[in-house]
Amino acid sequence: MPQFSRRAVLMQLGASGLAALTPGAALAQNRYAELDTQPWSYLDGNEARFLASMADVLIPEDDFPSASQAGVVDFIDLQLAGPYGQGAGLYLEGPFGDGTPEQGWQADHTPASLIRTGIARLERDDTRLVDLDADEREEFVTRLSEGKDFDLGDVPAKTLFDEIWALVKEGYFADPIYGGNKGYAGWEMVGFPGAHAYYPDHVDKNAPFPAPPRGIAHVPGTRHSADTASALRGADTPKEEG
Amino acid sequence: MATQLPKTDVVIVGAGWTGLAAAKELADAGQRCVVIERGDWRHDASNFGAPEEHDELKYARRKEHMIDTPTKTLSFRNNADQTALPMRRLGSFLPGKGLGGAGIHWNGQLWRPLPSDLEMRSHYADRYGEDILKGMNVQDWGMTYDELEPHFDFFDRVCGTSGVAGNLNGETQDGGNPFEGPRSSDYPNPPMKASPPLQMFRDTAEQMGYNPFHMPSANVTRAYENAYGAQLHPCTYCGFCERFGCGYFAKADPIVCIYDVVKDHENFELRMNSQVLRVEKSEDGKTATGVTYVDENGREVFQPADTVCLNAYALWNVHLMLVSGLGTPYDPETGEGTVGRNYAYQTIAAASVFFDENVWSNPFMGAGALGMTIDDFNGDNFDHSDLGFVGGGYISANQTNGRPINYHPTPPDTPKWGAEWKQAVRENYLHHVGIVCHGSSVAVPQNYLDLDPTYKDAYGQPLLRMTFDFPENDRKMSAYVLSKAEEIARNMDNVRAVSTVNRAAEGEKYSIVPYQTTHNTGGAVIGSDPKTSVVNRYGQMWDHHNVFVFGACLFPQNLGYNPTGPLMGLAYWTLDHMKNDYLQNPRPLMDA
Ligand SMILES: Cc1cc2nc3c(=O)[nH]c(=O)nc-3n(C[C@H](O)[C@H](O)[C@H](O)COP(=O)(O)OP(=O)(O)OC[C@H]3O[C@@H](n4cnc5c(N)ncnc54)[C@H](O)[C@@H]3O)c2cc1C
Repeated sequence: MPQFSRRAVLMQLGASGLAALTPGAALAQNRYAELDTQPWSYLDGNEARFLASMADVLIPEDDFPSASQAGVVDFIDLQLAGPYGQGAGLYLEGPFGDGTPEQGWQADHTPASLIRTGIARLERDDTRLVDLDADEREEFVTRLSEGKDFDLGDVPAKTLFDEIWALVKEGYFADPIYGGNKGYAGWEMVGFPGAHAYYPDHVDKNAPFPAPPRGIAHVPGTRHSADTASALRGADTPKEEG
Repeated sequence: MATQLPKTDVVIVGAGWTGLAAAKELADAGQRCVVIERGDWRHDASNFGAPEEHDELKYARRKEHMIDTPTKTLSFRNNADQTALPMRRLGSFLPGKGLGGAGIHWNGQLWRPLPSDLEMRSHYADRYGEDILKGMNVQDWGMTYDELEPHFDFFDRVCGTSGVAGNLNGETQDGGNPFEGPRSSDYPNPPMKASPPLQMFRDTAEQMGYNPFHMPSANVTRAYENAYGAQLHPCTYCGFCERFGCGYFAKADPIVCIYDVVKDHENFELRMNSQVLRVEKSEDGKTATGVTYVDENGREVFQPADTVCLNAYALWNVHLMLVSGLGTPYDPETGEGTVGRNYAYQTIAAASVFFDENVWSNPFMGAGALGMTIDDFNGDNFDHSDLGFVGGGYISANQTNGRPINYHPTPPDTPKWGAEWKQAVRENYLHHVGIVCHGSSVAVPQNYLDLDPTYKDAYGQPLLRMTFDFPENDRKMSAYVLSKAEEIARNMDNVRAVSTVNRAAEGEKYSIVPYQTTHNTGGAVIGSDPKTSVVNRYGQMWDHHNVFVFGACLFPQNLGYNPTGPLMGLAYWTLDHMKNDYLQNPRPLMDA
């Protein structure tokens, strides 16, 4: 199968996803832009489109980027290709039983194979999540999150949802060295200043801490200040302005 | 065939808090010590520096400092009617591996038990009558608070603990915990700073007639030279304690506080990447002869020793006993046997407080033991006459971290994902604090540890099997303590919403999935009766007098406090008896 570039694949996201690809300020600033011309490490085009559509239902665009805009699909691709996706930290000796929810992960899959197999079975009749409209996507993700109505063989639907949702949050909020959280989207959104942390003079003060985020790779963020965040919040919910 | 090495005086399994303390004390006492540790060598100076260590994905999510389940895990079920299945991924607890053990990625909340905790059965029976303990295996520890106090005091000076004393030599002190047992000396260091939500918690708790105080903390508040001459530095409130190593030398850990001062000792030898498989026994079975381990090159090696110390963490000490045939395994059908008996956990609940925009909690400014606490509902600090349960917990507004992958407090009724979720995360992140209820856990006959019949670890040994659910007593306790926490939360100013979560809620089973605490206790408990304890009151095995056991596996039931202070008090107590009595004349220190 031909290896499409990330951008080319995500370009096919469909109506509600298209905005995701307009190179806005956040995307232009991202230091991983060079990745966009490279092929995927683990995912194929269908899987990437599925994950992008689902991720953008979970974390949609508002004043801050959507999940796929923030590089979450790149992040998931790299994670699934790496040790985590290949089963590091996962005991995979049989026999496998269904178990109870309290007993945790019991699927006979690595995260990478769980997601690949899960998506293939969800889309086996060629209805693609990416082709659904916004409401239908939302409805699909809701059903998947409840683990109902899906027969995915040895892939428990709830486990699949939980795994993707965990990866989406990681991709949105992990240090940008892992390919997600582009332009510090996640950190700017909440007001987390990053990995360079030294607060003995501030911890007991009731005051905002307006520092631009900086990650492990020392790249300073652009936009954030607690004031900005505050103003944005105020605009949405005026009565709560303090 | 295993390669046999020359004999040593003492072999120590595990290089965490208890193992390195044992090595230091026994090496100083002239014993040649070999410490065998299954994980990697590492050091605060070379391995835990910021900003690289401040990597939430790598350490908090992928759990690089913790055990690797494909090599080492256990199986789990809620009750004996279920089939135990392997804990395939880490979740509820995060045991360590490597130099320093879990002492590297702990928080540093450093407590002592209440005097009455150590005599729990006698205390409750005296005050309320035996019946209150019906159906529980609650026991006395076999020694008193006064006997352990010098050892708690010493460990405070190993860690440079910060706090405000509540009881100095019997005199109640302002600002401290009025319920604590008498301290022979004050905290070595002043308390941590209080963040705005902690200040608000203190004021509200005080107004409600409670007794708030700074949580005792091993996140050091000023430059400090510890009891062994090691140097610690002040905490930066960086918010990367739990699950991370501390490159600032500010969180007391076994490497900085102990390893550095014993590493060049002529009596000290450390073997890394070496997995102890079992303790070998003499032909008559009365003593241990040493340990067999797989060394860093995959060779099986026998290390003979006069004395064996088990310092492998609570769960793995019990596992080693079971696979080595030390002591008698517990049988839940008959109630006989002791190894694996009285496994208990920590009962956790919490109230989440959502402030308005006037309160900036800035949760990323935090520290593992940054907390404002009340002890009014812990242990038997309150009247249990009509409550229908024993035990309790501390209630503490804690500000440990605001790490953004995991820290997404949202008010009640917020959807779990999507646009509204995103908006709520953004609005609440800088304006929230959690109030934890850190509750005790009683031992009951149906909760225990044994060997799994089906699943094996990477060395071909059967997995440890955990059978556990929250006892009815603890569910009632937890609901009660949580209701008190919620009341405080609702009385605080500038509060928009409060939500609660209770891991031991009525009708819900203990789940091995969400993180709760790495406070697994019991399974090899200490005591003065060989029918109900694995080791005598000195930490010496009843059945094998040259095997000494360390760690939270000794707790007959779990306290409302974090375990490391209590278990290190016990460790120094045991080491004291080894150095000053046993080693001169090896024998059982108590008659069975
Ligand atoms: C995230 C987290 C937060 C915590 N926070 C707190 C807190 O705030 N306050 C508190 O009191 N406690 C806390 N704890 C608990 C604390 O870490 C433990 O109580 C303490 O480390 C126990 O010391 P130990 O010596 O018994 O075991 P450990 O420190 O775990 O050391 C045991 C060592 O033995 C090694 N080992 C095990 N089996 C073998 C074998 N077969 N062969 C060779 N080596 C072996 C392990 O690799 C490990 O290094 C926390 C724990 C965690 C994980």
